[in-house]
Amino acid sequence: MVVLGANGAMGLGSGALFTTAVPRVTFLARTKEKADGGLAAAVKMVRSSTVANRVDTGSYDADFDRVVAEADLIFEAVTEQLDLKKEFFDRIDAVRRPDSIVATVTSGLSINQLAEGRSDSFRKNFLGLHFFNPPNVIVGTELIAGKETDPKLVDFIDAFCTVRLGRAMVRTADTPGFAGNRVGFKVLNECAILAEEHGPLLIDELVGPYTGRAMTPLATIDLVGWDIHRAIVDNIYELAPDEAHQTLKLPQYMADLMEKGVLGRKTGGGFFGKDDGGNRIVLDPKTQKYSPKSAVPRPDLAFIDTISNLHRVGRYMDGMKAFAEATGPYAAIAHKVIAGYIAYSFHRVGEVTDDISGIDRIMGFGFNWAPPSVLVDTIGLKPTIQMIEKAGLAVPPALANAQEGTKFFDDPQVNVGKFFVAA
Amino acid sequence: MTQVPEVYVLGGYQTDFARNWSKEKKHFVAMMREAVLGALGKTQIEPGEIEVAHTGNFAGELYSKQGHMGAFFCEIDPAFSGLPTSRHEAACASGSIAILAASAEIEAQRYDLACVVGVEQMKTVGAGEGGDFLGTAAWYELEAKGIEFPFPKLFGKLGDEYDKRYGLKDEHLAEISTINYANGKLNPNAQTRTWYMNYDHAMSRDEYNGTIGGRIHISDCSQVTDGAAALLLASPEYAKKWADRVGVSLDDIPRIKGWGHNTARIRFEDKIAESADSQYVLPHVRSTVTSAMERAGIADVSGIDAIETHDCFTTSEYMAIDHFGLTAPGESWKAIEEGDIALGGKTPINPSGGLIGAGHPVGATGVRQTLDAHKQVTGEAGEYQVEGAKNVQTLNIGGSGTTSVSFILGT
Repeated sequence: MVVLGANGAMGLGSGALFTTAVPRVTFLARTKEKADGGLAAAVKMVRSSTVANRVDTGSYDADFDRVVAEADLIFEAVTEQLDLKKEFFDRIDAVRRPDSIVATVTSGLSINQLAEGRSDSFRKNFLGLHFFNPPNVIVGTELIAGKETDPKLVDFIDAFCTVRLGRAMVRTADTPGFAGNRVGFKVLNECAILAEEHGPLLIDELVGPYTGRAMTPLATIDLVGWDIHRAIVDNIYELAPDEAHQTLKLPQYMADLMEKGVLGRKTGGGFFGKDDGGNRIVLDPKTQKYSPKSAVPRPDLAFIDTISNLHRVGRYMDGMKAFAEATGPYAAIAHKVIAGYIAYSFHRVGEVTDDISGIDRIMGFGFNWAPPSVLVDTIGLKPTIQMIEKAGLAVPPALANAQEGTKFFDDPQVNVGKFFVAA
Repeated sequence: MTQVPEVYVLGGYQTDFARNWSKEKKHFVAMMREAVLGALGKTQIEPGEIEVAHTGNFAGELYSKQGHMGAFFCEIDPAFSGLPTSRHEAACASGSIAILAASAEIEAQRYDLACVVGVEQMKTVGAGEGGDFLGTAAWYELEAKGIEFPFPKLFGKLGDEYDKRYGLKDEHLAEISTINYANGKLNPNAQTRTWYMNYDHAMSRDEYNGTIGGRIHISDCSQVTDGAAALLLASPEYAKKWADRVGVSLDDIPRIKGWGHNTARIRFEDKIAESADSQYVLPHVRSTVTSAMERAGIADVSGIDAIETHDCFTTSEYMAIDHFGLTAPGESWKAIEEGDIALGGKTPINPSGGLIGAGHPVGATGVRQTLDAHKQVTGEAGEYQVEGAKNVQTLNIGGSGTTSVSFILGT
């Protein structure tokens, strides 16, 4: 097989994964040096230099036609720009064998749009494979078939990724942001919007680990990069206007700050950063200036401490019961975001995945968030419905019509307790 | 000897050994809770039915600065308040010692239903400090104090002793590691199920598979693991009632058919000096295995369908192979080369992945092994099921071959 764009984060990360299971992998990049750099980074990720024995490296100029013509699987991971990807597909289509598989890694571009204008055999053998970064750590993976993709190929790639690459596979529709980013970035952007009034520190605490996630929402945006965040939410906002349309609109202050070069962790800071003395600082979206973290007052959030202490000793249901029963303006904000996450997820069933278990799996294994079904099971059906109603949201029929006592999360192998982090 | 009641194993539960409970910011009681409530859920037993609880734990005092681990059982559910509890410690054999204590109480007809939970939270500290804590399973002052990673070095010496007496090749140790990792990939609770490992890597000797102590490389080691496992042990009376309730036949419920338990001198060099004239490098381990077989009425290892052994290092599994009698003493390599110990082989060892593949939360390991034996003989081991397994034997070892416990589960 061949990995195109093998020097980028996603290319080398996916490449690292393939080296563990595929007998012969070629890493290609603009120059052989860049491809070599990708391989060196992949070796570090796998933590074994033995995989390098299975890898060749090369450049597009010198090796593309020969390598792509020989490959059974062509994995395209070049920069996420439609024109650039199309340019590569032209070259691939010209030399590939008619039976070779072409997979593209994308977090937002439409698979059907990418397939437009390609040969019959290309369209039949083309699909989207969305690994989450870094792929060696995050096992959740989305598989997106185009309208003309051979269903047998989809089954094969699903099985291959599950068995040989240890992936938790989710089949999604070819909808903007697919399943994971559609649901996840809706929540992240809602937090960014709320941060304008309440400040990043408070929002990240209100929608913090105790609500079922390893990393807080705004810290997550800083990590993925504000530019990536914008690309994802703009795409969904433009192409998938739904009941949460306004929640997917990028806040103006983020656009303003991006003009000034603020892109999150990769530019030294976003919502959070450090000053020259290494002290933690926090953005004030209203003034677009930073203040020391220690100078930002923390209101009384005793309910969070109570819930965290229950999670700490493994009493997750008691913890989430206390969450549902918490009162006051701050609890109301947290309720709104969590109820919104659950309702939005269930409303997407039939649109982005066939059933809720697909969304559950990608939120659990792609985002490391408590899947929506786990939250319903842990909070309780009735309190969940009440929370959704109180947030002024439509109750998804799957919840409204369910019998009390229904269990929504259907994977007994998953330790659901792991999602409720005690901090 | 008077006939004692048989001890039935109704089932149990283990936590996902890939979890890092320190990252989850959890107290170890959360782990105990998930394991025990999981076991109750799996067996459809109400908390109020449990009559006695035994906790296996090695070093809560060191890893979490908390002793009195038995008492934490009562924190799991309000129904447990007032329950008789205790904690058992015998280094890496702590979990099996807890099972022995619980089964002895059932045999003595004191109780009809006992819960055993093994637990260890190890990721509270870094590798060096954790390695030092583990050194307390040896004679700390004489064998571990001031030594970086004392245990890999001790088990490296076990390999050296084999090498001296019979010869030992790295290739065979690498094969043991490869098999355990491969089996771990089939086990949805195994810590290493998504890790990369194969024979080439196990044989590689660069920075990614450096030496930890002599011939022991990273790929030869078991893991630092957070985890808990729980089991429910019952008297024949309770087991009969339970069988009727859940709709199974009493004959299909696994029993502890045999057990073995021996302790050798704690210092490794004293053990080796004592065994100088023995065919077996660790004769007390051998007698643990054979006494369990004797009690079970099983003549030799040909009556055992699979083994869950204590592969804290590849050398300990290499030792187990001939000590179980799969080969003549010193010829463990033959069983490896013949494919006897791999899944599908004559006597698969560690279908779960063992301590190397599945993980090694010290105080939980003996319970996890016995739970896996239960899964095998009830046909519930999923992808790592040994076809038709009827009798499965465990071997759990504390220290450098010091405290050994073995169980045979079967129907």
